[in-house]
Amino acid sequence: MKGSNIGELEELVLLTVGILYPEAYGVAVMDEIEKQAGRSLNISAVHSVLTRLEEKGMLKSKMSDPTEERGGRRKRIFLLTASGKRALEEANELRTQLFKLIPKMALQFRLC
Amino acid sequence: MKQYPPDWALKFLRWYCRPDLLEEIEGDAYELFSRKAKESERIARLQFVWNVGRFFRLKNIRKRSSQNYNSTISTAMIKNIFKIFLRNFIRQPGHSFLTIFGLSAGFTSAFLILLWLAHEYSFDRFHADNEKIFKVMTHVEADGSYQTYDIASCLIDVSSVPEIEKLVGVSTGNRWPHELCFRPEGKPNECIYLSGVYANENLFSVFNFPIIQGDPNPLKQNASIAISQKMAALLFGSTVPVGKTMMIDGSREVTIASIFENIPANSSLQFDFALSYDILKKQWGTSEEQFGQNFFNMYVKTQSDVSTEQLTKKLNDIRVVTEALKAQKISYQAYPITDWHLKNKFEGGKNTGGRIEYVVLFGIVGILIAIMAIINYVNMATARATLRAKEIGIRKVTGAMRGTIAAQFMSESFFIVLLSTLLSSFTTQLVLPFFSRLVGEPISLTILSGWIPIYVLAFLIVVALLAGIYPSLMMSSYQPVRILKNQLSSSTTGSQGFRKGLLVVQLSISIGIIIFSGVLYYQLNYVTTKNLGFDRHNMIHIEPTYPLLKKFDAFKNELLKNPSIVGLSTSNSNPLSSGGSNTGVSWQGKSPDSRVEFKTIGCIPQFPETIGLKIIEGKSFESKPSDSVRTEALVTEEAMKTMGLKQPIGEEIKIGEATCVIIGIVNDFHTESLHAVRLPVILFRTPIEQTSAIYIKYQPGTTQQSMAAINSVYKSFEPSYTMRYNFQDETFDESYKTEIVASRLVTLFTIIALVIAIIGIISLATFNMLRKTKEIGIRRVFGASVMQALALLFNEFSLIVLLAMFIAAPIAWYAADHWLQGFAYHTAMPWWIFAVTLAGIAGLIAIIVWLQGMRTISANPTKTLRSE
Repeated sequence: MKGSNIGELEELVLLTVGILYPEAYGVAVMDEIEKQAGRSLNISAVHSVLTRLEEKGMLKSKMSDPTEERGGRRKRIFLLTASGKRALEEANELRTQLFKLIPKMALQFRLC
Repeated sequence: MKQYPPDWALKFLRWYCRPDLLEEIEGDAYELFSRKAKESERIARLQFVWNVGRFFRLKNIRKRSSQNYNSTISTAMIKNIFKIFLRNFIRQPGHSFLTIFGLSAGFTSAFLILLWLAHEYSFDRFHADNEKIFKVMTHVEADGSYQTYDIASCLIDVSSVPEIEKLVGVSTGNRWPHELCFRPEGKPNECIYLSGVYANENLFSVFNFPIIQGDPNPLKQNASIAISQKMAALLFGSTVPVGKTMMIDGSREVTIASIFENIPANSSLQFDFALSYDILKKQWGTSEEQFGQNFFNMYVKTQSDVSTEQLTKKLNDIRVVTEALKAQKISYQAYPITDWHLKNKFEGGKNTGGRIEYVVLFGIVGILIAIMAIINYVNMATARATLRAKEIGIRKVTGAMRGTIAAQFMSESFFIVLLSTLLSSFTTQLVLPFFSRLVGEPISLTILSGWIPIYVLAFLIVVALLAGIYPSLMMSSYQPVRILKNQLSSSTTGSQGFRKGLLVVQLSISIGIIIFSGVLYYQLNYVTTKNLGFDRHNMIHIEPTYPLLKKFDAFKNELLKNPSIVGLSTSNSNPLSSGGSNTGVSWQGKSPDSRVEFKTIGCIPQFPETIGLKIIEGKSFESKPSDSVRTEALVTEEAMKTMGLKQPIGEEIKIGEATCVIIGIVNDFHTESLHAVRLPVILFRTPIEQTSAIYIKYQPGTTQQSMAAINSVYKSFEPSYTMRYNFQDETFDESYKTEIVASRLVTLFTIIALVIAIIGIISLATFNMLRKTKEIGIRRVFGASVMQALALLFNEFSLIVLLAMFIAAPIAWYAADHWLQGFAYHTAMPWWIFAVTLAGIAGLIAIIVWLQGMRTISANPTKTLRSE
C-alpha cells in the first residue's frame, strides 16, 4: 500500500513532529532536526517532506493563530495521525528486531 | 527598526505559489528572515531570496488551468463552436460569400505573386555551386561615363588567377549563325528554326545542363553537336539520334554527340543546340586572329571562396586585361550569375537595378492586397457582431468565460482562413495557366520547394490570428446584461473609429494601386503610340537567305505586282532593335578622346523612303550605282548637331575605316526603347549582299492578302525554306516586354484591389445602415427627404475617402514619378488620373450606399420604428 514505507528523512521529520508536539511547524522542525541530528536542511526541503507526509496520511495539519514574529502570518501546525504513529512504530520495531538479529560476534570490536 | 525582505522576491513568491500553501511558506520564510536580520540584514535578504528560489518547485507552483471542468477548450466546445459557425455561415449566405470571396481573392493574388516572385528569384539558381559562378562584365569608359556590357573578350586569359577553376565562353545571339534552319529527318523541304550557342568545352561541366545520352563532354570534338531533347524529338521523332550525322546550314556536317535535358525556363542561357567555337569560326569564315577580336558571354567558376570584389580586382590584373584592351579603356567586373537576371541594368559602371524593381513592386502589391483582404475580414466580422450579440450574451449568462468567447471567435477566424486558403489554392491551380500566359513565363507550383510552403503556412497562421484577434477581443468584452436588455451602444459594438481607420487604410491601398496603375498605363500608351520618327506600322521584316538577297530585284518586282505591297528594301540593322551602337564614327574636328555613340544603318537606296523618313535638307540616295570610292550617307538632325557641322552636305565622315560623304539630312528617329536617350543616326549605302533583312511595307488593312502574297512569292524563290518574318509592331512591343507584363499584372491586381475595396465598402455601408435605421426612421417622420437620408449615410464615408486620398495620393505620386524617371522620354504626371480616381471612388461609394440604403429609406418609417 502506498505510504506504508517511509524514507530515512521522512522518518526523521516524523519523529521530530512527534517531539515538538503540539508546536510542530516548518521552521521549528528544521531547527529541531539541526539541534538533535546535526543535519542542516533548507526550509523548502522540510516543507516538501511535510507536505508529502501529509499526502501519505501520516500527518495532519491545522492553522495556528497569527504571530508577531511571522509578520502576522499563521503557522501550519503538524500533528501525528494514527497511521503516522503506526509507521513510526513499525520502523522502530523493524530496526530493533533487525538490530537484535546481528550476531554478537559482529559487534565485538577488540584490538587485534 | 523594522526590517523587510526584498519586495520583488516576495512578489515573485506570491505570483507563483499555490494559494493554499502560500501563507505557511511565506510565514516560514519571513520568520527565518527576521531571525537572521538581527545579525545581518544583508545576509538575511540573501537568504530570503535563496529560500524563495528553493521553494520554487513543481509542487508549490500554482496550477494555471484549474484541474476539472474549467478547462477553456474541450472537444465538446469545439464541436459546438463549429456547429454554430456552420449555422451562422449558412444563415447569411450573402455575407458568408462576401467574406470568403474577399479573403480568397486576396490570398489568390498573394499566392500568384508569390509564385511569380519565386520564379523570378529562382533564375540561374539551379546550377550546382551557383554562388561560385560569375559572369564577366565589361565596362568601357567613354567621355567620362561608363558603358557596361555583359560580354568579355573571348580570349580572356584567367590562368593567372588561381581561384578560378574553369572558364566558359558562350557566344549567343538570335540571328544567324545562332539561329539555324534544321530539316527533320526525311523531310528535306521542311525547315525548323532553332537557336543555339557556340561555346567552349566547359559549357556542360560548369553549368547544370544534364546530358541524358551520349558523350558527357560533347564540345571537345570540333565536329560534334549537342542537341536538346526537344530538338531531338522535333527532328528525329522517337528514334535515338546519338551518333547520327546531320547538316547544319545545309553545308557543314556534324555528329550528334549527346542529348541534353531541355534548358529550364528559369535559366538566363537558353539554347537548343551547342556547337564548338571551331564551327563558329568556319561559319563566319574568319581567321583565328579576327575571331579573337570577338566578345562573348564569359563565365568563370571559382574553386575557393573568393569575394566578388577580390575576383573583380584580379580580373583587372594586367595579365587578364591586356594592353590592347586597356587602350580601349576596358575594365572587367565579376558579377554573380544569380544576380544577373534581376539586376542587369548598369549606369556609369554601377548596377542600378533592373527587373528587381518590378519584383519589389509586386511584392509590395501582394502584401498590400493581403492586408486589404484581412482588413476586410476584420471589418465584416466585427460588423456582424451586432447580429450575434444575443448569442454571446446567452453564452456568457450560461457560464462562458471571456476566454471561451475569444476562443470561439478565434476558431471561427481559423475556419474562415482555412476555407479561404483551400479555396484560393484551388483557384491558384486553376488560373495558373492563364497567369503564366499573362506574365509570359511558365510558372509552376514546383517552384515552391524548400522552406517556402512552411513560410506560407506560418503566414496563414499569422493572418488567422491577426484577423481573429480584434473581433474576438471585442466581442468577448460584451456585458451580457446590457446585451440581453438590448442596450447595444456604440461601446459594445466595437470602436467605430477603429473600423473607420481600417477602411481608410484599405481605401488608401486601393486608391494608391489604382492611381499608380493609371500612370503606368498612361505612360505605356504614350510609349506605344509615340511617333518614333519613322513608320513601323503595316510592315514586316523577313530574314532572307543569301540566294534570295542576290535575286532581290526579281523578288521585289514580283512582289510589287501585287497592289497591296507598297515597297520593300533591305538594311543591315533593324531601326527598331536596340543595341549595336557604333563609337567608331569620326569627322573633321572630332576630339580624339570622344567616344560618342551613333547608330549606323547600312541600307540600299530605297530604305529611307520605305520606312518613311523625311528628307529635311539635301537629297536621298539615288538608285543609280553608287560611287565606289565614297559611300553616300544620310544623317539625322541630331547627328548633325552632335558632330557640330554647320554645313553638313558634302562633308566627309568616316565610319570605321570607310569614308562616307553626307548627301542629306533626315528627321530624328528613335532606334532604342524610350528608356534610353535617342541616338544620333547615320544611314549609309551598302551593297545589298551585306544587308540582313528585307522590309516590306503594305497597304493598311491588307495584312492577310499581303502576307499570302509575300508567302507565295517567297516559296517560289526559296522552295526549301520556311519564311522567317516578324511584324515590326510586334518587334517594337518586344522591347517593352517587362513593362507590358507589368501593366497586365497591374491591371489584374487593380481589379482585385478594387473588388476587395468594394466588398469593404459594402460591409461598412450595411453596418451603418443597421446602426442608423432608427435615426433615419425618426428623421423621415420629421420630414427629411430621401436625398437627405442618403446624404446622412454618405457623410459617414466622406471623411474616410478624403483621408484615404490624402494618404494615398502622395505615395502613389512618389512611386509613379520614380517609375517614370526610368524612361528617358515620359509623359508629364497625368494629374487628371488622381482626380478621376477620387471621383470614381466617391461615385462608387455613392452608388453602393444608394443601393444599400434605398430599401430602408423608402420603407415606411413606422415599420422600422416599431420593430422593437
